Amino acid sequence: MNSQSPNISVLESIKKLIKKYNLNHQTLRRLVQLCFAAFIIITVVRHIVIGEDGPVITASAEAYCPFGGLETLYKYLTSGGAFVSHTHLSNVVLFIAVIVTAILLRSAFCGWICPLGSLQDLVSGISKAIQKRLPKLKKGLQSIKRNAPWLSTMDRVLKFGKYIVLIWAIGGSAYFGYMVFRDYDPWSALINIAEFSFTPGLIVLLLTILLSLFVERPWCRYACPLGAISGLAGKLSPVYLKREESACTLCQVCTKACPMGIEVHKAKTIQSVDCISCLECVGACPRKGALEIHVGYTGRNSIGGENAS
Amino acid sequence: MRVKPILFGVVVVIVFMSVVVISQAAGYWSTSGKVTTSGELVNPSADDVETIKGWMTLNQISDTYAVPLSEILWEFSLPDTTSGDTAIKDLESETFEVTLLREWLVSRMNGEKPALTTPLPMELSPQPSATPTSVTTISGTPQVTGEITVTHIAPENTITGKTTFQELIDWGLDMDVIESIIGTPFPGGEIIIKDYVTGLGMEFSPVKTALQGELDKTR
Repeated sequence: MNSQSPNISVLESIKKLIKKYNLNHQTLRRLVQLCFAAFIIITVVRHIVIGEDGPVITASAEAYCPFGGLETLYKYLTSGGAFVSHTHLSNVVLFIAVIVTAILLRSAFCGWICPLGSLQDLVSGISKAIQKRLPKLKKGLQSIKRNAPWLSTMDRVLKFGKYIVLIWAIGGSAYFGYMVFRDYDPWSALINIAEFSFTPGLIVLLLTILLSLFVERPWCRYACPLGAISGLAGKLSPVYLKREESACTLCQVCTKACPMGIEVHKAKTIQSVDCISCLECVGACPRKGALEIHVGYTGRNSIGGENAS
Repeated sequence: MRVKPILFGVVVVIVFMSVVVISQAAGYWSTSGKVTTSGELVNPSADDVETIKGWMTLNQISDTYAVPLSEILWEFSLPDTTSGDTAIKDLESETFEVTLLREWLVSRMNGEKPALTTPLPMELSPQPSATPTSVTTISGTPQVTGEITVTHIAPENTITGKTTFQELIDWGLDMDVIESIIGTPFPGGEIIIKDYVTGLGMEFSPVKTALQGELDKTR
Protein backbone atom coordinates (compact mmCIF):
# COMPACT_ATOMS: atom_id res chain seq x y z
CA MET A 1 0.00 0.00 0.00
CA ASN A 2 1.31 3.44 -0.94
CA SER A 3 1.61 5.58 2.19
CA GLN A 4 2.37 8.79 0.27
CA SER A 5 -0.33 11.47 0.17
CA PRO A 6 -1.63 12.46 -3.31
CA ASN A 7 -0.03 15.93 -3.03
CA ILE A 8 3.42 14.49 -2.41
CA SER A 9 2.95 12.07 -5.33
CA VAL A 10 2.05 14.98 -7.62
CA LEU A 11 5.09 16.95 -6.46
CA GLU A 12 7.31 13.92 -6.99
CA SER A 13 5.89 13.48 -10.49
CA ILE A 14 6.53 17.16 -11.27
CA LYS A 15 10.09 16.82 -9.97
CA LYS A 16 10.66 13.73 -12.15
CA LEU A 17 9.29 15.55 -15.20
CA ILE A 18 11.53 18.55 -14.52
CA LYS A 19 14.54 16.26 -14.20
CA LYS A 20 13.61 14.16 -17.23
CA TYR A 21 13.19 17.10 -19.59
CA ASN A 22 15.87 19.23 -17.90
CA LEU A 23 13.23 21.96 -17.40
CA ASN A 24 14.66 25.16 -15.99
CA HIS A 25 12.84 28.31 -14.90
CA GLN A 26 13.55 30.07 -18.20
CA THR A 27 11.88 27.28 -20.19
CA LEU A 28 8.98 27.29 -17.75
CA ARG A 29 8.61 31.07 -18.15
CA ARG A 30 8.44 30.75 -21.93
CA LEU A 31 5.86 27.98 -21.59
CA VAL A 32 3.70 30.02 -19.24
CA GLN A 33 3.95 33.08 -21.52
CA LEU A 34 3.04 30.91 -24.51
CA CYS A 35 -0.01 29.44 -22.75
CA PHE A 36 -1.43 32.84 -21.78
CA ALA A 37 -0.69 34.30 -25.23
CA ALA A 38 -2.36 31.27 -26.86
CA PHE A 39 -5.43 31.76 -24.67
CA ILE A 40 -5.74 35.38 -25.80
CA ILE A 41 -5.20 34.44 -29.48
CA ILE A 42 -7.92 31.77 -29.24
CA THR A 43 -10.26 34.26 -27.54
CA VAL A 44 -9.67 36.87 -30.24
CA VAL A 45 -10.15 34.38 -33.10
CA ARG A 46 -13.26 32.87 -31.49
CA HIS A 47 -14.77 36.32 -31.01
CA ILE A 48 -14.08 37.21 -34.65
CA VAL A 49 -15.34 33.91 -36.08
CA ILE A 50 -18.49 33.56 -33.96
CA GLY A 51 -19.13 37.29 -33.61
CA GLU A 52 -21.25 39.14 -31.11
CA ASP A 53 -24.53 37.81 -32.41
CA GLY A 54 -23.51 34.20 -32.85
CA PRO A 55 -25.24 31.16 -31.36
CA VAL A 56 -22.99 31.32 -28.29
CA ILE A 57 -21.80 34.33 -26.35
CA THR A 58 -18.11 34.90 -26.90
CA ALA A 59 -16.07 37.10 -24.63
CA SER A 60 -13.99 39.84 -26.17
CA ALA A 61 -10.27 39.68 -25.35
CA GLU A 62 -10.76 43.09 -23.76
CA ALA A 63 -12.64 41.31 -20.98
CA TYR A 64 -9.30 39.75 -19.99
CA CYS A 65 -7.34 43.01 -19.68
CA PRO A 66 -6.37 43.68 -16.05
CA PHE A 67 -5.79 47.36 -16.72
CA GLY A 68 -9.44 47.71 -17.78
CA GLY A 69 -10.22 46.67 -14.21
CA LEU A 70 -8.26 49.60 -12.84
CA GLU A 71 -9.85 52.02 -15.29
CA THR A 72 -13.36 50.92 -14.39
CA LEU A 73 -12.71 50.56 -10.66
CA TYR A 74 -13.70 54.14 -9.76
CA LYS A 75 -17.04 53.90 -11.57
CA TYR A 76 -17.61 50.37 -10.25
CA LEU A 77 -17.13 51.49 -6.64
CA THR A 78 -18.96 54.82 -6.87
CA SER A 79 -21.93 53.73 -8.96
CA GLY A 80 -22.72 50.50 -7.14
CA GLY A 81 -21.50 48.01 -9.71
CA ALA A 82 -21.67 49.78 -13.08
CA PHE A 83 -18.77 49.52 -15.50
CA VAL A 84 -17.34 51.88 -18.08
CA SER A 85 -17.83 50.67 -21.65
CA HIS A 86 -15.82 47.63 -22.77
CA THR A 87 -15.17 46.41 -19.23
CA HIS A 88 -16.73 43.68 -17.11
CA LEU A 89 -16.36 42.00 -13.75
CA SER A 90 -13.53 39.87 -15.18
CA ASN A 91 -11.40 42.98 -15.67
CA VAL A 92 -11.75 43.88 -12.00
CA VAL A 93 -10.93 40.33 -10.90
CA LEU A 94 -7.84 40.18 -13.13
CA PHE A 95 -6.66 43.53 -11.84
CA ILE A 96 -7.00 42.22 -8.28
CA ALA A 97 -5.06 39.10 -9.35
CA VAL A 98 -2.24 41.28 -10.70
CA ILE A 99 -2.07 43.31 -7.49
CA VAL A 100 -2.18 40.21 -5.24
CA THR A 101 0.60 38.66 -7.34
CA ALA A 102 2.62 41.87 -7.07
CA ILE A 103 2.19 42.15 -3.31
CA LEU A 104 3.40 38.58 -2.90
CA LEU A 105 5.85 38.16 -5.78
CA ARG A 106 6.64 41.61 -7.18
CA SER A 107 5.75 42.38 -10.81
CA ALA A 108 5.85 38.72 -11.76
CA PHE A 109 2.71 39.20 -13.84
CA CYS A 110 4.72 41.37 -16.24
CA GLY A 111 7.60 38.92 -16.51
CA TRP A 112 5.66 35.66 -16.59
CA ILE A 113 2.12 36.24 -17.83
CA CYS A 114 1.51 39.52 -19.73
CA PRO A 115 1.10 38.69 -23.46
CA LEU A 116 2.19 42.19 -24.51
CA GLY A 117 5.43 41.60 -22.61
CA SER A 118 5.74 38.23 -24.34
CA LEU A 119 5.34 39.92 -27.73
CA GLN A 120 8.15 42.34 -26.91
CA ASP A 121 10.30 39.43 -25.71
CA LEU A 122 9.61 37.66 -29.00
CA VAL A 123 10.62 40.69 -31.11
CA SER A 124 13.75 41.24 -29.01
CA GLY A 125 14.58 37.54 -29.39
CA ILE A 126 14.29 37.85 -33.18
CA SER A 127 16.52 40.95 -33.07
CA LYS A 128 19.14 39.09 -31.01
CA ALA A 129 19.06 36.17 -33.45
CA ILE A 130 19.59 38.58 -36.37
CA GLN A 131 22.46 40.28 -34.54
CA LYS A 132 24.02 36.90 -33.89
CA ARG A 133 24.02 36.20 -37.62
CA LEU A 134 25.21 39.71 -38.45
CA PRO A 135 28.10 40.48 -36.06
CA LYS A 136 28.78 43.81 -37.73
CA LEU A 137 25.28 44.99 -36.89
CA LYS A 138 25.73 43.84 -33.30
CA LYS A 139 29.05 45.67 -32.98
CA GLY A 140 27.54 48.79 -34.51
CA LEU A 141 24.67 48.84 -32.03
CA GLN A 142 27.02 48.19 -29.12
CA SER A 143 29.25 51.01 -30.32
CA ILE A 144 26.31 53.41 -30.40
CA LYS A 145 25.41 52.46 -26.83
CA ARG A 146 29.01 52.94 -25.67
CA ASN A 147 29.51 56.28 -27.38
CA ALA A 148 26.18 57.81 -26.43
CA PRO A 149 26.00 58.04 -22.64
CA TRP A 150 22.96 60.31 -22.99
CA LEU A 151 21.03 57.21 -23.99
CA SER A 152 21.24 55.79 -20.49
CA THR A 153 20.27 59.17 -19.02
CA MET A 154 17.30 59.28 -21.37
CA ASP A 155 16.41 55.72 -20.36
CA ARG A 156 16.34 56.71 -16.68
CA VAL A 157 14.22 59.80 -17.33
CA LEU A 158 11.78 58.06 -19.67
CA LYS A 159 11.11 55.39 -17.05
CA PHE A 160 9.02 57.97 -15.17
CA GLY A 161 6.73 58.20 -18.20
CA LYS A 162 4.70 55.21 -17.08
CA TYR A 163 3.59 57.03 -13.92
CA ILE A 164 2.32 59.95 -15.99
CA VAL A 165 0.41 57.51 -18.21
CA LEU A 166 -0.98 55.85 -15.07
CA ILE A 167 -2.26 59.14 -13.61
CA TRP A 168 -3.76 60.18 -16.94
CA ALA A 169 -5.47 56.82 -17.53
CA ILE A 170 -6.98 56.49 -14.05
CA GLY A 171 -7.80 60.18 -13.60
CA GLY A 172 -9.27 60.50 -17.08
CA SER A 173 -11.45 57.42 -16.71
CA ALA A 174 -12.72 58.57 -13.31
CA TYR A 175 -13.41 62.11 -14.53
CA PHE A 176 -14.91 61.44 -17.95
CA GLY A 177 -16.47 58.03 -17.25
CA TYR A 178 -14.98 56.29 -20.26
CA MET A 179 -11.57 54.80 -20.99
CA VAL A 180 -9.50 57.77 -22.18
CA PHE A 181 -6.46 55.50 -22.53
CA ARG A 182 -8.15 52.91 -24.75
CA ASP A 183 -7.48 54.65 -28.05
CA TYR A 184 -3.79 54.93 -27.22
CA ASP A 185 -3.44 51.45 -25.74
CA PRO A 186 -1.24 49.17 -27.91
CA TRP A 187 -2.82 46.11 -26.30
CA SER A 188 -6.31 47.25 -27.26
CA ALA A 189 -5.06 47.95 -30.79
CA LEU A 190 -3.53 44.47 -31.02
CA ILE A 191 -6.58 42.52 -29.87
CA ASN A 192 -8.87 44.62 -32.06
CA ILE A 193 -6.57 44.48 -35.07
CA ALA A 194 -9.21 42.63 -37.10
CA GLU A 195 -11.36 45.78 -37.02
CA PHE A 196 -8.73 47.49 -39.18
CA SER A 197 -9.16 50.73 -37.25
CA PHE A 198 -6.34 53.21 -37.58
CA THR A 199 -6.04 54.44 -34.02
CA PRO A 200 -3.22 56.14 -32.10
CA GLY A 201 -2.92 52.81 -30.25
CA LEU A 202 -1.93 51.11 -33.49
CA ILE A 203 0.87 53.64 -33.96
CA VAL A 204 2.00 53.03 -30.36
CA LEU A 205 1.90 49.27 -31.02
CA LEU A 206 3.99 49.55 -34.18
CA LEU A 207 6.41 51.87 -32.39
CA THR A 208 6.68 49.39 -29.51
CA ILE A 209 7.44 46.52 -31.89
CA LEU A 210 10.00 48.63 -33.77
CA LEU A 211 11.70 49.80 -30.57
CA SER A 212 11.78 46.23 -29.25
CA LEU A 213 14.34 45.49 -31.95
CA PHE A 214 16.79 47.82 -30.19
CA VAL A 215 15.58 48.16 -26.59
CA GLU A 216 14.10 45.27 -24.61
CA ARG A 217 10.54 45.76 -23.36
CA PRO A 218 10.21 49.47 -24.32
CA TRP A 219 6.49 49.62 -23.48
CA CYS A 220 7.08 48.05 -20.05
CA ARG A 221 10.04 50.33 -19.32
CA TYR A 222 8.57 53.68 -20.33
CA ALA A 223 4.81 53.66 -20.69
CA CYS A 224 2.93 50.70 -19.21
CA PRO A 225 0.52 52.01 -16.54
CA LEU A 226 -0.25 48.49 -15.31
CA GLY A 227 3.46 47.81 -14.83
CA ALA A 228 3.73 51.10 -12.95
CA ILE A 229 1.05 50.22 -10.41
CA SER A 230 2.24 46.61 -10.20
CA GLY A 231 5.78 47.81 -9.49
CA LEU A 232 4.55 50.10 -6.74
CA ALA A 233 2.46 47.30 -5.16
CA GLY A 234 5.53 45.07 -5.44
CA LYS A 235 7.34 47.28 -2.94
CA LEU A 236 5.29 45.47 -0.29
CA SER A 237 6.50 42.07 -1.44
CA PRO A 238 8.78 40.01 0.79
CA VAL A 239 10.51 38.58 -2.30
CA TYR A 240 13.79 40.06 -3.45
CA LEU A 241 16.94 39.09 -5.34
CA LYS A 242 20.23 38.99 -3.48
CA ARG A 243 23.65 39.23 -5.08
CA GLU A 244 26.22 37.33 -3.01
CA GLU A 245 29.37 39.42 -3.28
CA SER A 246 31.67 36.59 -2.24
CA ALA A 247 30.50 34.48 -5.17
CA CYS A 248 30.10 37.30 -7.75
CA THR A 249 32.89 37.97 -10.23
CA LEU A 250 31.34 41.24 -11.49
CA CYS A 251 31.17 39.83 -15.01
CA GLN A 252 28.03 41.96 -15.62
CA VAL A 253 26.26 39.13 -17.45
CA CYS A 254 23.26 39.67 -15.16
CA THR A 255 23.00 43.36 -16.07
CA LYS A 256 23.25 42.55 -19.78
CA ALA A 257 20.53 39.91 -19.40
CA CYS A 258 18.06 42.21 -17.60
CA PRO A 259 15.33 43.26 -20.06
CA MET A 260 14.42 46.23 -17.88
CA GLY A 261 17.91 47.72 -17.85
CA ILE A 262 18.53 47.32 -14.11
CA GLU A 263 22.21 47.40 -13.12
CA VAL A 264 22.06 44.13 -11.22
CA HIS A 265 25.84 43.75 -10.82
CA LYS A 266 26.08 46.98 -8.83
CA ALA A 267 23.40 46.06 -6.30
CA LYS A 268 23.43 43.92 -3.21
CA THR A 269 19.69 43.37 -3.26
CA ILE A 270 17.38 44.02 -6.18
CA GLN A 271 14.13 45.60 -5.06
CA SER A 272 13.59 47.93 -8.01
CA VAL A 273 10.04 48.91 -8.98
CA ASP A 274 11.12 48.19 -12.54
CA CYS A 275 12.05 44.56 -11.79
CA ILE A 276 9.55 42.23 -13.52
CA SER A 277 10.79 39.08 -11.73
CA CYS A 278 11.60 37.40 -15.02
CA LEU A 279 14.74 35.92 -13.41
CA GLU A 280 16.74 36.30 -16.63
CA CYS A 281 19.62 37.60 -14.49
CA VAL A 282 19.50 34.51 -12.27
CA GLY A 283 19.45 32.24 -15.31
CA ALA A 284 22.32 34.08 -16.99
CA CYS A 285 24.59 34.14 -13.93
CA PRO A 286 27.50 31.73 -14.49
CA ARG A 287 28.35 31.45 -10.77
CA LYS A 288 26.21 29.19 -8.64
CA GLY A 289 24.85 30.99 -5.60
CA ALA A 290 25.91 34.46 -6.75
CA LEU A 291 22.34 35.58 -7.49
CA GLU A 292 19.41 34.04 -5.64
CA ILE A 293 15.77 34.68 -4.79
CA HIS A 294 15.14 35.36 -1.13
CA VAL A 295 11.94 35.71 0.86
CA GLY A 296 11.66 37.77 4.01
CA TYR A 297 11.52 41.30 5.30
CA THR A 298 14.49 41.01 7.62
CA GLY A 299 17.93 41.14 6.14
CA ARG A 300 17.22 42.72 2.77
CA ASN A 301 17.74 46.27 4.02
CA SER A 302 20.36 45.46 6.66
CA ILE A 303 22.92 44.55 4.02
CA GLY A 304 25.31 47.41 3.48
CA GLY A 305 25.95 48.98 0.13
CA GLU A 306 23.72 50.00 -2.74
CA ASN A 307 20.33 48.49 -3.44
CA ALA A 308 18.80 48.56 -6.88
CA SER A 309 15.47 49.99 -5.82
CA MET B 1 14.79 31.89 3.06
CA ARG B 2 15.99 30.99 -0.42
CA VAL B 3 13.59 29.96 -3.19
CA LYS B 4 14.41 27.95 -6.30
CA PRO B 5 13.68 29.92 -9.50
CA ILE B 6 11.51 27.17 -10.97
CA LEU B 7 9.43 27.01 -7.79
CA PHE B 8 9.02 30.79 -7.96
CA GLY B 9 7.56 30.41 -11.46
CA VAL B 10 5.13 27.72 -10.35
CA VAL B 11 4.00 29.90 -7.41
CA VAL B 12 3.43 32.88 -9.75
CA VAL B 13 1.01 30.86 -11.86
CA ILE B 14 -0.70 29.34 -8.81
CA VAL B 15 -1.21 32.70 -7.07
CA PHE B 16 -2.52 34.46 -10.18
CA MET B 17 -4.85 31.67 -11.22
CA SER B 18 -6.06 31.12 -7.64
CA VAL B 19 -7.51 34.63 -7.51
CA VAL B 20 -9.32 34.01 -10.79
CA VAL B 21 -10.60 30.54 -9.85
CA ILE B 22 -11.73 31.64 -6.39
CA SER B 23 -13.60 34.59 -7.92
CA GLN B 24 -15.27 32.31 -10.45
CA ALA B 25 -16.24 29.83 -7.74
CA ALA B 26 -17.70 32.68 -5.68
CA GLY B 27 -19.78 33.79 -8.67
CA TYR B 28 -17.79 36.97 -8.97
CA TRP B 29 -16.89 36.66 -12.64
CA SER B 30 -18.41 37.77 -15.90
CA THR B 31 -16.79 38.42 -19.27
CA SER B 32 -19.84 39.80 -20.99
CA GLY B 33 -22.68 42.16 -20.20
CA LYS B 34 -24.97 39.66 -21.90
CA VAL B 35 -24.74 37.06 -19.15
CA THR B 36 -25.12 37.23 -15.40
CA THR B 37 -22.36 36.17 -13.01
CA SER B 38 -24.03 32.76 -12.92
CA GLY B 39 -23.78 32.49 -16.69
CA GLU B 40 -27.47 33.02 -17.45
CA LEU B 41 -28.55 35.21 -20.34
CA VAL B 42 -29.49 38.70 -19.21
CA ASN B 43 -33.07 39.49 -20.14
CA PRO B 44 -34.82 42.84 -19.91
CA SER B 45 -37.06 43.38 -16.92
CA ALA B 46 -40.76 43.48 -17.65
CA ASP B 47 -41.12 46.31 -15.11
CA ASP B 48 -38.28 48.48 -16.36
CA VAL B 49 -37.74 49.30 -20.01
CA GLU B 50 -34.41 50.92 -19.13
CA THR B 51 -33.00 47.40 -18.83
CA ILE B 52 -33.34 46.98 -22.62
CA LYS B 53 -29.90 46.95 -24.23
CA GLY B 54 -28.88 47.27 -27.84
CA TRP B 55 -27.56 43.71 -28.05
CA MET B 56 -30.90 42.22 -26.98
CA THR B 57 -32.93 40.54 -29.69
CA LEU B 58 -36.41 41.33 -30.91
CA ASN B 59 -37.54 37.96 -29.57
CA GLN B 60 -36.35 38.89 -26.07
CA ILE B 61 -38.38 42.10 -26.24
CA SER B 62 -41.37 40.27 -27.67
CA ASP B 63 -41.31 37.60 -24.94
CA THR B 64 -40.64 39.92 -22.00
CA TYR B 65 -43.22 42.59 -22.84
CA ALA B 66 -45.74 40.24 -24.46
CA VAL B 67 -45.71 42.14 -27.71
CA PRO B 68 -46.06 40.15 -30.93
CA LEU B 69 -42.95 40.40 -33.05
CA SER B 70 -45.02 41.44 -36.05
CA GLU B 71 -46.34 44.43 -34.10
CA ILE B 72 -42.83 45.64 -33.33
CA LEU B 73 -41.84 45.23 -36.96
CA TRP B 74 -44.92 47.06 -38.15
CA GLU B 75 -44.61 49.87 -35.62
CA PHE B 76 -41.05 50.67 -36.56
CA SER B 77 -41.39 50.00 -40.28
CA LEU B 78 -38.96 47.13 -40.17
CA PRO B 79 -39.03 44.55 -42.95
CA ASP B 80 -41.50 41.82 -42.10
CA THR B 81 -38.82 39.28 -42.93
CA THR B 82 -36.68 40.51 -40.04
CA SER B 83 -35.62 37.63 -37.84
CA GLY B 84 -36.62 37.71 -34.21
CA ASP B 85 -33.04 36.81 -33.35
CA THR B 86 -31.76 40.11 -34.74
CA ALA B 87 -30.15 42.41 -32.19
CA ILE B 88 -31.83 45.79 -31.77
CA LYS B 89 -28.62 47.70 -32.41
CA ASP B 90 -28.29 46.05 -35.81
CA LEU B 91 -31.61 47.55 -36.84
CA GLU B 92 -30.88 51.08 -35.67
CA SER B 93 -32.04 53.79 -38.03
CA GLU B 94 -33.84 57.13 -37.82
CA THR B 95 -37.07 55.37 -36.98
CA PHE B 96 -35.78 52.63 -34.75
CA GLU B 97 -33.48 52.75 -31.81
CA VAL B 98 -33.41 51.54 -28.23
CA THR B 99 -34.78 54.80 -26.81
CA LEU B 100 -37.72 54.89 -29.23
CA LEU B 101 -38.48 51.26 -28.48
CA ARG B 102 -38.47 51.97 -24.74
CA GLU B 103 -40.80 54.98 -25.16
CA TRP B 104 -43.16 52.99 -27.33
CA LEU B 105 -43.26 50.08 -24.89
CA VAL B 106 -44.00 52.42 -21.99
CA SER B 107 -46.85 54.09 -23.85
CA ARG B 108 -48.16 50.69 -24.89
CA MET B 109 -48.05 49.39 -21.32
CA ASN B 110 -49.87 52.51 -20.14
CA GLY B 111 -52.67 51.70 -22.53
CA GLU B 112 -51.97 54.64 -24.83
CA LYS B 113 -52.51 54.16 -28.51
CA PRO B 114 -49.03 53.85 -29.91
CA ALA B 115 -48.29 56.55 -32.38
CA LEU B 116 -46.73 55.65 -35.66
CA THR B 117 -43.27 57.08 -35.77
CA THR B 118 -42.86 59.61 -38.54
CA PRO B 119 -41.28 60.36 -40.91
CA LEU B 120 -40.70 56.90 -42.23
CA PRO B 121 -37.89 56.40 -44.69
CA MET B 122 -39.61 53.49 -46.33
CA GLU B 123 -41.22 52.58 -49.55
CA LEU B 124 -44.66 51.12 -49.65
CA SER B 125 -44.85 49.86 -53.16
CA PRO B 126 -45.70 46.61 -54.83
CA GLN B 127 -42.60 44.76 -55.91
CA PRO B 128 -43.33 42.16 -58.53
CA SER B 129 -39.98 40.48 -58.12
CA ALA B 130 -40.45 39.91 -54.44
CA THR B 131 -42.89 37.45 -52.97
CA PRO B 132 -45.80 39.47 -51.67
CA THR B 133 -46.38 39.00 -47.99
CA SER B 134 -49.36 39.87 -45.97
CA VAL B 135 -48.79 42.16 -43.03
CA THR B 136 -50.45 40.90 -39.91
CA THR B 137 -52.94 43.34 -38.52
CA ILE B 138 -53.14 43.79 -34.82
CA SER B 139 -55.86 45.46 -32.87
CA GLY B 140 -54.80 48.72 -31.30
CA THR B 141 -52.42 49.56 -34.08
CA PRO B 142 -53.10 51.37 -37.32
CA GLN B 143 -54.71 49.00 -39.76
CA VAL B 144 -52.94 48.18 -42.95
CA THR B 145 -54.74 46.05 -45.42
CA GLY B 146 -53.75 44.55 -48.69
CA GLU B 147 -50.62 42.89 -49.78
CA ILE B 148 -47.56 45.06 -49.56
CA THR B 149 -43.86 44.59 -49.29
CA VAL B 150 -42.18 46.77 -46.73
CA THR B 151 -38.69 47.70 -47.78
CA HIS B 152 -36.64 49.45 -45.18
CA ILE B 153 -34.11 51.91 -46.45
CA ALA B 154 -31.31 52.62 -44.04
CA PRO B 155 -30.55 56.32 -44.42
CA GLU B 156 -27.02 57.49 -44.91
CA ASN B 157 -25.22 59.72 -42.39
CA THR B 158 -27.32 58.37 -39.57
CA ILE B 159 -25.96 58.53 -36.05
CA THR B 160 -26.02 55.21 -34.23
CA GLY B 161 -24.53 53.89 -31.03
CA LYS B 162 -21.29 53.19 -32.87
CA THR B 163 -20.78 56.55 -34.58
CA THR B 164 -17.59 58.41 -33.72
CA PHE B 165 -17.05 62.16 -33.56
CA GLN B 166 -14.73 61.86 -36.56
CA GLU B 167 -17.62 60.54 -38.64
CA LEU B 168 -19.66 63.64 -37.76
CA ILE B 169 -16.80 65.81 -38.98
CA ASP B 170 -16.50 63.69 -42.13
CA TRP B 171 -20.21 64.08 -42.76
CA GLY B 172 -19.76 67.86 -42.71
CA LEU B 173 -20.75 68.89 -39.19
CA ASP B 174 -18.75 71.78 -37.72
CA MET B 175 -16.74 71.18 -34.58
CA ASP B 176 -18.34 74.27 -32.98
CA VAL B 177 -21.81 72.82 -33.49
CA ILE B 178 -20.76 69.51 -31.93
CA GLU B 179 -19.20 71.31 -28.96
CA SER B 180 -22.30 73.43 -28.38
CA ILE B 181 -24.51 70.31 -28.35
CA ILE B 182 -22.35 68.14 -26.11
CA GLY B 183 -21.43 71.10 -23.93
CA THR B 184 -17.74 70.21 -23.70
CA PRO B 185 -14.66 70.84 -25.86
CA PHE B 186 -14.30 68.45 -28.81
CA PRO B 187 -13.16 65.21 -27.14
CA GLY B 188 -11.31 63.64 -30.09
CA GLY B 189 -12.28 62.05 -33.38
CA GLU B 190 -11.85 58.39 -32.51
CA ILE B 191 -14.18 58.50 -29.51
CA ILE B 192 -17.59 56.90 -29.88
CA ILE B 193 -20.26 59.53 -29.25
CA LYS B 194 -22.47 57.23 -27.20
CA ASP B 195 -19.60 56.15 -24.92
CA TYR B 196 -18.60 59.74 -24.36
CA VAL B 197 -22.06 61.10 -23.70
CA THR B 198 -23.13 58.30 -21.37
CA GLY B 199 -19.76 58.58 -19.65
CA LEU B 200 -20.66 62.17 -18.80
CA GLY B 201 -23.87 60.92 -17.23
CA MET B 202 -26.06 62.29 -20.03
CA GLU B 203 -28.77 60.50 -22.00
CA PHE B 204 -27.58 59.55 -25.47
CA SER B 205 -30.93 59.97 -27.19
CA PRO B 206 -31.43 63.78 -26.88
CA VAL B 207 -27.81 64.42 -27.85
CA LYS B 208 -28.19 62.09 -30.80
CA THR B 209 -31.41 63.79 -31.88
CA ALA B 210 -29.80 67.23 -31.68
CA LEU B 211 -26.72 66.12 -33.61
CA GLN B 212 -28.86 64.31 -36.18
CA GLY B 213 -30.94 67.46 -36.62
CA GLU B 214 -27.82 69.53 -37.31
CA LEU B 215 -26.53 66.81 -39.60
CA ASP B 216 -29.77 66.79 -41.58
CA LYS B 217 -29.43 70.56 -42.12
CA THR B 218 -26.09 70.02 -43.84
CA ARG B 219 -27.58 67.67 -46.44
